[in-house]
Amino acid sequence: MESLELEPFWVELLWVGCWAKSKLFWPPRVRARAPAMIAIDHVSQTFQTSGRQSHLALSDISLTIEEGSFVSILGPSGCGKSTLLYIVGGFVNPTQGEATVKGRTITGPGPDRGPVFQEFALFPWKTVLGNVMYGPRQQGVKSAAAEAQARTLIEMVGLKGYENFYPKELSGGMKQRVALARTLAYHPAVLLMDEPFGALDAHTRTRLQNDLLNIWERDRKTVLFVTHSVEEAVFLSDKLVVMTRSPGRIKQVIDIDLPRPRRRAALLLDPRYQKYVVDIERLIDDTGEDGLRP
Amino acid sequence: MIAGRALLSRSAPLLACLGLLAIWQVAALILKTDSFPTALEALRAVPSILGDKESLINILASLRRMAIAFSVAVAVSIPLGLMMGRNRYVASFFNPLLMITYPVPKAALMPIIMLWLGVGDLAKMLVIFLGVSLPVIYHSFQGARAVEEKMLWSGAAMGLSAAQRLIRIVLPAALPEILTGCRTGLVLALITMVTSEMIARQSGAGNILFNALDMGQYETVYAMIIVIGAMGIGLDAAFEKLRSRLVRWSEPGFDIPLSFA
Repeated sequence: MESLELEPFWVELLWVGCWAKSKLFWPPRVRARAPAMIAIDHVSQTFQTSGRQSHLALSDISLTIEEGSFVSILGPSGCGKSTLLYIVGGFVNPTQGEATVKGRTITGPGPDRGPVFQEFALFPWKTVLGNVMYGPRQQGVKSAAAEAQARTLIEMVGLKGYENFYPKELSGGMKQRVALARTLAYHPAVLLMDEPFGALDAHTRTRLQNDLLNIWERDRKTVLFVTHSVEEAVFLSDKLVVMTRSPGRIKQVIDIDLPRPRRRAALLLDPRYQKYVVDIERLIDDTGEDGLRP
Repeated sequence: MIAGRALLSRSAPLLACLGLLAIWQVAALILKTDSFPTALEALRAVPSILGDKESLINILASLRRMAIAFSVAVAVSIPLGLMMGRNRYVASFFNPLLMITYPVPKAALMPIIMLWLGVGDLAKMLVIFLGVSLPVIYHSFQGARAVEEKMLWSGAAMGLSAAQRLIRIVLPAALPEILTGCRTGLVLALITMVTSEMIARQSGAGNILFNALDMGQYETVYAMIIVIGAMGIGLDAAFEKLRSRLVRWSEPGFDIPLSFA
């Protein structure tokens, strides 16, 4: 007993030495690994409905999204998938839990997370060029530089020649292209796409999916993509989060292991693609499309 | 054929005015009373009013009061309306006040205002201010309320603060609605201008009109009505031109040619 209590001081020194050495030569693993681009940690969201009732829109959602991955949230309407996206965007504060971007807690919107909405939400008083330049100008980019970059982006989304058009003069698909360019213009680390092609006709939708994939495969920005189309989600994503509704919960997270770059024609014929689509449709069907359990 | 139609639609306001004058002329010829001069007699009296230095000064003084009151009203009402549209607390504070003041005829307040401020410019400008500010506040409020939430979110994601969003997103997005309110306000400014001068008889276009009425110079009365009407059309046309220039980007509506512009 005596010897344990009265350890010589050099033993202490030895411990301190080991600790210092470990700090210097073996940096901890946690430090080597960068935090996930987005981490959603036990997030719940309750909405007050009319008549003092509260509606649980999201229940205990946890999810991490790695940098450079294309993640889709899939689920029936009313499952809170858009709400989850708005929480990451900082537009809605979660009732419980927290979401982080690059390790920092999300407290509000910021230029590191760029939204693209189903409703386009373009500034109608600005031309196409003015819309795309808006973000960079806000961040203090000089007018000439912002314009040059905007013109490149407009060309990239296939709208060269429409720079001086007002949004009212464009079709839905063109508006969404402008919205995408406007968001890409201020270089967000994460793209938040809220059913971006939901308001478009089937043909335009297909073309925009192809173009988005082409643009994405060039710089592999982190994308969080909300949709209710299984084909769209499988076609675009690396990872697919299937949600159920009432309350919104994550049912399953599925890795989509399909080669990139993906080409639509080849992919549609690929049995692996077809299996993903069929399996996921069945998974959603189990939940009941209308939220009712069969 | 298309050119003919365009010509017709352009000249329609002129034709409407000529038609009104023709009906007036015929009605006056049939009725033949002293207090109802014919359209031609009234029109003949117009140059004598516009040629008279004193009445011209009076009319210009009226317009000056109107311009000042209108500008101040617009400058105050637009920010207030926009803030009401975007902030529940501001709205719930000011809404009851506006609900009370909206149905009150502003000219009815004139005697009270005269007790405070006298019969001078200030009292009249205050009445015009009240007349203009309510429609402008109301339309700014409605316009700001209708601004798409996602548009504001897009701005917030770009790093715009709440104040910047109000000025750089809500204001331009609500501008078509605001200008509709301003147009109503402009017409109301003209009306309250004349009625204020009717009550506080000291100077101005309304004063000329009612002095002439007292003295039984009915040609002058009707000529003055024509002058005031022409001022209304002119101001409205000028404003419409400015408005269409400012909101060319907004959805094109069915354009009724109300003006000669």
